[in-house]
Amino acid sequence: MEHAKLERHGMAFALAVLGVAAIGGFVEIAPLFTIENTVEQVDGMRPYTPLELAGRDIYVREGCYACHSQMIRTLRSDVDRYGHFSLAAESMYDHPHQWGSKRTGPDLARIGGKYSDDWHVAHLERPRALVPGSVMPGYAFLSQTRLETDHLSVALSALSRAGVPYSEEQIALAEFDAFSQADPEATYDQDLFVRYGENVQIRDFDGDPNFLSEMDALVAYLQMLGTLVNFDNIDAKEIAR
Amino acid sequence: MKPEIDPHSGQETTGHEWNGIKELNHPIPRVFSLWLWASILCAAILWVLYPSFPGYHQVLGGVLGYSSRGAVNDAVIKGQEQRAEAYAKFAQEDYETLLNDPALKATYQDEIGVLFRDNCAACHGRNGQGQLEFPNLRDDHWLWSADPEEIQYTLQVGINADHEDTRMAEMPPFGRDEWLEQADIDHVIEYVLQISNQPHNAEMAHLGETIFEENCAGCHGDAGHGGYENGAPSLTDTAWIYGSSRADIADTLHNGRRGVMPAWSGRLSESEIRQITMYLMWWAD
Ligand code: HEC
Ligand code: HEC
Ligand code: HEC
Repeated sequence: MEHAKLERHGMAFALAVLGVAAIGGFVEIAPLFTIENTVEQVDGMRPYTPLELAGRDIYVREGCYACHSQMIRTLRSDVDRYGHFSLAAESMYDHPHQWGSKRTGPDLARIGGKYSDDWHVAHLERPRALVPGSVMPGYAFLSQTRLETDHLSVALSALSRAGVPYSEEQIALAEFDAFSQADPEATYDQDLFVRYGENVQIRDFDGDPNFLSEMDALVAYLQMLGTLVNFDNIDAKEIAR
Repeated sequence: MKPEIDPHSGQETTGHEWNGIKELNHPIPRVFSLWLWASILCAAILWVLYPSFPGYHQVLGGVLGYSSRGAVNDAVIKGQEQRAEAYAKFAQEDYETLLNDPALKATYQDEIGVLFRDNCAACHGRNGQGQLEFPNLRDDHWLWSADPEEIQYTLQVGINADHEDTRMAEMPPFGRDEWLEQADIDHVIEYVLQISNQPHNAEMAHLGETIFEENCAGCHGDAGHGGYENGAPSLTDTAWIYGSSRADIADTLHNGRRGVMPAWSGRLSESEIRQITMYLMWWAD
């Protein structure tokens, strides 16, 4: 038997193991060096605003991903129900991405704009009051909990080290920007458009003007999901290549 | 080293010995290694046929030129064509003709119901019966109009939505913005209770009538009958969006109301919007 020979030569055997493992490593790691041409070139993508980012952190903290995916697969049934399949570009600023693999509830990749803020707040507080028989847990405490904002600058700079292109100004003003996005009365909303682009939504998301709650942040995040890329001027051929 | 042969079975042994016990060297059946080599071969063939590995400039595309995104795009377009054919009537004929076609409801109501439940049920309820803050779509009380063209337009642009042509409807926050004195608000609340046939304080309601004419009738119509099709509901019927109790009405007058109905252009196709419009019309009659 051939392997009997190999097994009797420790050094040769170790080299053979290394060789086989290296093939596995190459197949997994090499594609990462070509990530540039995996991520599509599309208009509209921008990093999360500080408020959306805070909402995303709450989404992760509460484990919403355990029941909701954010990945519209290249299947006709998915595309018919949820809209255009997800692009790599749409999660390019996600660390980590929230694709998920379990759909107890519907996919949320394009939930932004499907419902009103009021509906989201009412549904998150008491899901069964709006959708009889829903098994989604209630998150009423989010409306009562003040949003922690003092760490937002640090969070942005951590992400910028992971490759998200936040400018120094965006990092320095993160906390201020979080407050102004949920305050429609603020006169400095133009600043937010200048810093993050025209597709930022500025509203009092939870309908309670008295303070900035975790609900504000989570709804701001849900309402922007899947709304950034404009699929009208996208080249279907290029995307499908 | 020569392999040792076990005298009883005639098999080779591994040559190791544990306290006099020796192990037979039984190779795995040949079929398993054939299977392994066959699957490696298959992998190599598929590697050549299908997109496999990202190259430096482009993914190795495979000689079949297959792309899962291209495939789903084609499947979706094919599905759209099939549906365009199946629902051709909805896109081509006007509502008048559609409403007078009795076969239509029996054939399509169930199928279009799926669209309604996927997109509208979360707010308006599975049967369109509405719930607090979300109006009933089954009754014949309409905020804008009972005309199917107008309903179609509401679905396209939404109400207070983020569509650029959206319909606007806002009940102003009379209390919070101090447009009216609290006493006047109390009077007009009694008047609203009166015109909606609920228990009320007649004296206060009488005082409220002029306040209503000066401040409210412009939107809600004379004596609150509505009918302007401007998004302000009639206050004389039993169809309430935000509740009919004294406390509910007081809340409406203090904080105002601005219900948001999302715009569906873009998310739903024009034909789907017409189908759902018909679905609502079937309820109404
Ligand atoms: C135990 C599983 C579960 C968890 C955890 C969960 N959900 Fe859900 N979710 C559901 C189910 C089931 C539905 C569908 C029924 C409904 O609308 O309530 C749903 C519906 C939704 C919808 C409406 C989707 C649509 O298209 O109608 C949103 C938005 C949503 N969830 C957000 C969240 C967020 C945000 C969190 C975390 C704070 C969360 N969910 C956590 C199960 C879950
Ligand atoms: C996010 C919740 C929400 C969803 C989802 C929703 N609606 Fe609405 N809809 C509303 C609200 C709120 C109003 C009332 C707006 C107001 O108060 O001015 C409304 C109003 C309407 C009206 C106008 C009623 C009238 O009396 O004139 C129609 C018609 C309607 N919706 C149909 C639909 C259909 C069809 C769908 C699904 C495609 C749908 N809605 C989905 C919240 C929703
Ligand atoms: C600028 C127009 C406008 C004026 C003026 C106005 N309303 Fe309204 N009102 C509305 C609209 C629009 C709605 C529906 C809001 C919604 O559905 O989101 C409404 C809703 C209401 C409702 C709730 C109806 C329901 O079904 O729950 C009450 C009660 C009401 N108005 C009373 C009044 C009274 C009393 C006044 C005068 C003090 C008044 N309104 C003045 C536009 C107006």
